[in-house]
Amino acid sequence: MKINLQSFLISLLLLSGLTLRAQVVSTRGSYTVKNIDMPPGLMSETGGLAFLPDGRLAACFIRGEVMLYTPETKEWKVFATGLHEPLGIHVVNKSEFIVMQRPELTRIKDTNGDGLADLYENLSDDFGISGNYHEFNYGPVQDAKGNLYIALNSASQGGSVRPEIRGPLNPMGRDMTQGIYEMYSVVPYRGWVMKLPHGSSKLEPFASGMRSPNGLGFDLKGNLFVTDNQSDWVETSTLYHVREGKFYGHPASLVWNKEWANRNPFIGPVGELDKMRTKAAVLFPQGIMANSPSQPLCDITQGKFGPFAGQMFVGEMNRDRIVRVMLETVAGELQGACIPFIDGQGLRKGNNRLAFAPDGSLWVGQIAFGWAGDQGVQQIVFNGAQPADVQTMNLTKKGFDLTFTQAVDKKQALDPNNYKFRHYYYKYQRKAKNAGADNTDQQDIKTIPVTDIKISADGKKVSLVLAELKPGYVYELKLGDLTTRKGQPLANKLICYTLNNLIP
Amino acid sequence: MYKLSRLILTITMLLFMGRTNGQQLSDGTINVSISALSGMQFDIVRFSVKPAVKVKIVFTNVDDMNHNFLITKPGARLDVVNEALKLEEKGPLMNYIPLSSRVLWSIPVVSANQSASLEFTSPAEPGAYPYVCTFPGHGFIMYGVMYVSANNTMPDLKADQNIPPSRRDDKSVAAIANSVSHNPKAHKADHPYENIPPFLYRIFMDDSGPASIAVSLPQDLSYCWDAGSCQLRYAWSGGFLDNTAIWKGHIDANAKIMGTVFYRESSEHSLVIGNPNESTVPEFKGYSLVNKFPEFHYTLNGYDVYELVIPKEDGKGLVRNFRIPNAKGTVWFTSRSVNGAVTYKSSAGDWIDGKLKLTPEQARNFSVTMTNYSLVFNTRKKK
Repeated sequence: MKINLQSFLISLLLLSGLTLRAQVVSTRGSYTVKNIDMPPGLMSETGGLAFLPDGRLAACFIRGEVMLYTPETKEWKVFATGLHEPLGIHVVNKSEFIVMQRPELTRIKDTNGDGLADLYENLSDDFGISGNYHEFNYGPVQDAKGNLYIALNSASQGGSVRPEIRGPLNPMGRDMTQGIYEMYSVVPYRGWVMKLPHGSSKLEPFASGMRSPNGLGFDLKGNLFVTDNQSDWVETSTLYHVREGKFYGHPASLVWNKEWANRNPFIGPVGELDKMRTKAAVLFPQGIMANSPSQPLCDITQGKFGPFAGQMFVGEMNRDRIVRVMLETVAGELQGACIPFIDGQGLRKGNNRLAFAPDGSLWVGQIAFGWAGDQGVQQIVFNGAQPADVQTMNLTKKGFDLTFTQAVDKKQALDPNNYKFRHYYYKYQRKAKNAGADNTDQQDIKTIPVTDIKISADGKKVSLVLAELKPGYVYELKLGDLTTRKGQPLANKLICYTLNNLIP
Repeated sequence: MYKLSRLILTITMLLFMGRTNGQQLSDGTINVSISALSGMQFDIVRFSVKPAVKVKIVFTNVDDMNHNFLITKPGARLDVVNEALKLEEKGPLMNYIPLSSRVLWSIPVVSANQSASLEFTSPAEPGAYPYVCTFPGHGFIMYGVMYVSANNTMPDLKADQNIPPSRRDDKSVAAIANSVSHNPKAHKADHPYENIPPFLYRIFMDDSGPASIAVSLPQDLSYCWDAGSCQLRYAWSGGFLDNTAIWKGHIDANAKIMGTVFYRESSEHSLVIGNPNESTVPEFKGYSLVNKFPEFHYTLNGYDVYELVIPKEDGKGLVRNFRIPNAKGTVWFTSRSVNGAVTYKSSAGDWIDGKLKLTPEQARNFSVTMTNYSLVFNTRKKK
């Protein structure tokens, strides 16, 4: 219905001789959201976005197309077709891409220079497929050494296994006792992050414990991050700092770990799994911050996109939101806070893929594919006006330092009523039988008073002392009507810090 | 038969479109049962009641996600959905139900396989009263409408702007999000270009491995190639594929072939290179497009094989062109058709008991033509 309407409108525009231009949806504050016109006939559910050095956008779409978009001329061109649910694209050069599709990681090349791919090489298909609809594959992202990383979704309890599968079947990867709501891994490396060493076609298992890891990305220092989606064993959605050999919590994937051979990881003491697992660097409280986070993308623009260089942006499927993540090292581990970045400004929902253009604008591709979502591509442009926002939230010995992008009003900043803290934690647990797939319980919700406030001479840093700081909790802060010295209200007022470790 | 089923369908549609959809209880209360289905849909997207009557809604969640149920003032659905999003940290505690005068009645979050009910007196004011689930993300697609009117009327289903667009062509009360039409005529242009054979989809296919490639050829022929076993699995004549079910997403589905299978291969590979007693280990390498026809590249026990399939000139079968540049020892091609009605011819080599024997020299470039007897001689006319 939607596509028809869209094509109709586009045809109308063409007929009336108007130039197609990116339509500005909203200009409020420091960022402008623009709609990119999509070619008629395309179901523009976006699986991957990446920019070529020449400024063109490469995008892949769920029905198998790879398309190239030239922002200057606003022209879309087909590059490749027929792919199986491509959910990620990596640019090698202007005539060569690596695409993650359902059956394999594929190198796609235009070898004769006619602008169309004519060679589709299997780079690696070294992982199993049960045929369950939820076995989506994500990535690839490339590290500084040229190694590629992908993530393999677990299978859904709501789907089945095909009569013909790829890879050996291991029924131990499924909870057969009660877990009708638990995702499973009955073919190799479902629920794993995999590494493809540079020049190799042999995937190596890298890290386990993933449920639905719809997004990978590196920060400026080369740390790998992967998001995971809330439900069984993932009480609320996560951003993991992924390191080799570590286990991140969803048990299904463990059947492909030799130490767990012939054991059903779903059965047994939860405490054992809890001890093994590496906790998320950031938790996205369910129904509050994000329900289905997607790709994490580091702000590599060095200020072209505003004051958040080096921080990460994470797409959210269920609403019109991109989340911003700010990290710090505490007790040797990365942890930090998340805050909405852009809400209510015309961004669609279904924000699946992100990419920075060479000009520093952020491009967002949407998807639904049977989930809450949308379709299309949008561009978010920083218009140069300094936003009024929290720039960083840092843990201190007794509380938190909030650094703002601009000096804030001193009187307001020193008013404790402007800081409403709650803490709570999410229990690592096997989902109760018949509990809703997106049911989440916050444990031990408690209001935490602010006992002391100081503001720096430049008015940008506010140091808060809290009555209590407990590791293992999310500290959720709701800011009041705080404005900058010039009276500009804050763009975002809800911020959640995942306190895994106290400052030693 | 066709006419009868059509008649029944029409009657069902009329019954559905005209009726209250509720059942009157002994005390006069109108009882309406609504379920939340997977795919973020209500099973019933509209019903009508008279003004100022007692209504009881029984809301059952048969999905594996959580859902709530709100009835809003006319025209207020999207506002209420956005108000629910703005609850932010208060959302979970408030069951995502905003404190708003625009919310008339509500049922808090209902977990999977649970039910809850709501009783109220329908508004005295006739109108379209939306109902919606305001769980984050759901409200944009998961909604319906309660019509309040003195004569229980509802607008034409197809033109009803108060129900989700995907539901405006529901054929019956039972039509649900997961039901899929397999009407070949429904297959339309799904790309920003016209697909002219040859072209292909990598897609889930029946009777093949999960890494399948479906190729549409000229002459109304198509085949399914399995990138796991590196085999031509089957071929059919007629239309190509209906991808409607699979493109809905978030559901187990295969592409449906829109023709008749005339060739099917057994699980053993047709080619043996070198020692016939050795088991064949295939490895898929990819494909290149040669005049838009895919030429598959794979290895069998390490030997490179290239295979390109084109339609037989008369459209009565397929020609498989093979290149095996570096074969050592004899190459055998065995007819693995499970259909008897296929005859084989080759451009080179000798047929010995249904097996084609090729020298390494001959194997560098040869073709096998498979003609389907039924395609040649079938005199039954299509209706």
